[in-house]
Amino acid sequence: MKIIASYSIKGGVGKTAASVNLAHAAAKAGNRTLLVDLDPQGASSFYFRIGGSKKDRGHFFSPKKKRLLKNVKGSNYKRLDILPANLSFRNFDIMLNSMHKSKKRLKEVLLHLEDDYDLIILDCPPNMTLLAENIFIAADIIVVPVIPTTLSERTYAQLLDFFSAKGYKRKKLYPFFSMAQSDNKLHIDTIKSMDKNYARFMKSIINFSLEIERMGVHREPVLAYASKKSSVQAYRSLFNEIIVALNKK
Amino acid sequence: MNQVITNSLRYILPGNMQRADIITALRSHFSIEERDKSTDSISLIDSFAWGLYEKGFIAFRYSNNNIKIWHADELFDADQALDLYGNNSPARFWWDFEDTPERTLLEKSLGLRSLLSLYEGVLAVEDFDLQDASGKTQVFLQFISFYSAASTDKPLLLQVKITPVTGYAREYEQAAELLENAGGFKPRLNPADSLLGAIGITPAPYTVKPDLAIDPLMPARSAANSIVSQMITKQRLTEEGIIQDIDTEYLHHFRVALRMTRAVIAQLKEVYPEQDVLSLKQRFGDLARETNHLRDLDVFILDKPRYLSLLPDSLSKGLLPMFDDFETDREKEVQRIGKWLSSSAYKKEIDELEALFKNGYPAGETAWSEKPSIELAISKIAKRYNKIQKSALKITDDTPDEAIHSIRIDCKKLRYLLYFFGSLFNKKELNQAGKQLKRLQDRLGIFNDLTVQGAYLETYLDEIEHNEKKDIGLIAALGGLIATLYRMQKTERDSCISELHVFSAEKNRHLFTHAFAARGTDQ
Repeated sequence: MKIIASYSIKGGVGKTAASVNLAHAAAKAGNRTLLVDLDPQGASSFYFRIGGSKKDRGHFFSPKKKRLLKNVKGSNYKRLDILPANLSFRNFDIMLNSMHKSKKRLKEVLLHLEDDYDLIILDCPPNMTLLAENIFIAADIIVVPVIPTTLSERTYAQLLDFFSAKGYKRKKLYPFFSMAQSDNKLHIDTIKSMDKNYARFMKSIINFSLEIERMGVHREPVLAYASKKSSVQAYRSLFNEIIVALNKK
Repeated sequence: MNQVITNSLRYILPGNMQRADIITALRSHFSIEERDKSTDSISLIDSFAWGLYEKGFIAFRYSNNNIKIWHADELFDADQALDLYGNNSPARFWWDFEDTPERTLLEKSLGLRSLLSLYEGVLAVEDFDLQDASGKTQVFLQFISFYSAASTDKPLLLQVKITPVTGYAREYEQAAELLENAGGFKPRLNPADSLLGAIGITPAPYTVKPDLAIDPLMPARSAANSIVSQMITKQRLTEEGIIQDIDTEYLHHFRVALRMTRAVIAQLKEVYPEQDVLSLKQRFGDLARETNHLRDLDVFILDKPRYLSLLPDSLSKGLLPMFDDFETDREKEVQRIGKWLSSSAYKKEIDELEALFKNGYPAGETAWSEKPSIELAISKIAKRYNKIQKSALKITDDTPDEAIHSIRIDCKKLRYLLYFFGSLFNKKELNQAGKQLKRLQDRLGIFNDLTVQGAYLETYLDEIEHNEKKDIGLIAALGGLIATLYRMQKTERDSCISELHVFSAEKNRHLFTHAFAARGTDQ
């Protein structure tokens, strides 16, 4: 079982779109996949037409596997399950703070699912709290959407600094360009310079596309309803790149 | 393999029901969305021996020369199909497919057998989602229809399968209940057997080994007759495959069946009139000898990669003209044997022999013909075993090769006796004894093969020496190959000798005398 996190300090950069479509691509490729919606806003659950989990609030970190699986819902796609978001996730940090070994808690919980899934994809909330540190430890790979602008470049640099300062493995970070505009000179220049200055940038670029924006209307992964569009296929090639990277680990 | 979704339910719809009936029934609780639909012309494939079916698999060839293999319980489950991609067209042998892990399954199931097309059909798979009002899928539904290629009006088999979605157990149970109330029934057979039944095909696995249950008290001649009859039947089943040159196993089994027949006549000769034994040996022997040359060629050609690998690259190329010769020869032999098997002379001869044994071999009694078969079995097995045992104990490093070959032949005779009379003895002990014997036979077999192959190549070398144009590369390669085989044969001889010592050890002697002691009648 491998764990992929989709993470960014900034919001609105295409994190959830990546999680949802990577999960879809993973399941389609034959992997038993669980998408864990850690974002209290529950956007990825929404995309799969699943409401927030009502019962068992706050038991996410329960050491009991059964309790954890009770909240899992199948999606409309074979091999793809969702652990829906829950507004009480806001309290994650409070919960984690009260727990011993609190930075490893998420990893321990997910390891219970080793026999049930080949891949776990974490859709993460945009912040740098204790939950984020749990994610950094749990994930084998952290994909980071970066909009090719100067501001985003600075945010990514901050993330790298944070990893160095806290002693997390920077090699886990795999940034990719998200919401890029091929006719925007600033975007083109930023892509060129960041590609040169930062290691491990994915080759696949997710361009800004109306199809992707419309996911909220369709309530489906864009790969499911517009899989032939090139802007959409980039998710599939991104997934393939991730698999190659995972196999090297 | 998918472990999350393992509890799918399959139903078969009775002939008077259609898909629409099921959809109507399910609409009372679900909204139904079509997701996917595929129609393929496919043909059921397996070997003549039903090698895949015997291992619990069923396979289909798709129009693109690729094949899909399913476990019998998971037939047509898209997630569980093993895909194999044909390199040559049409891909008939396991080595005609791309080298993937899945190919090993084919190799183990087919051996040297070719795949045959057994039934042409059309498969239609339709996937539906059973959803709630918000469009959330709660149950997956699939219709699997199988038609004959000749007529796609009405499916020969209509299956409906539901698969649960995690977290929607209640809805799944509801769908199952609706299906059952509508008339769908759970099949008693696995999906593969349900399909074979619906298309009217009965698997008939073929093995050349005798599979007879002989009564211990059955008169010895009747027992011998029934073995020969069965072997002739098995021999005749291979004729068509040899004529069409489908694979080399047909001829191989044709010859094995004949060899068993000849073994019955030679080894149990006391049950038939003395004057008949000689002529029967001659007649069956003639049939076998007719095919000697083709079998030799088959064995060499099948072993081509191994021969090439025995020589350094620079020399091995030299062998290719010899294999070209063999291939050309083989073509001619296949034609000749095909004609011979289709000839009225062969048919008349084999019909006559077959009738003789099927009709109880009407001839005067002999000293042994009416005795209980168990007595004959015990006496023959003991005699043969003791002979091997005695010769084995005498083997030293100075024993000539011929003596080792002669033990091999005695082992083979003993093996055949165990085949013929195995059903008379305790199965566990028989298997143990059989295993020891096989170990020895395998070793002796390798030694013999190396000797025979070396001799064959020397004959071939003699022949080409007289050719006007000398192919130096070929002669050098042959020299190298003959020398290599000779060295291997020397090493193998030592292994044979140590294996013979193991076989003749006290423990084994006890195993054999106990397994085949005179106590069979009360079992």
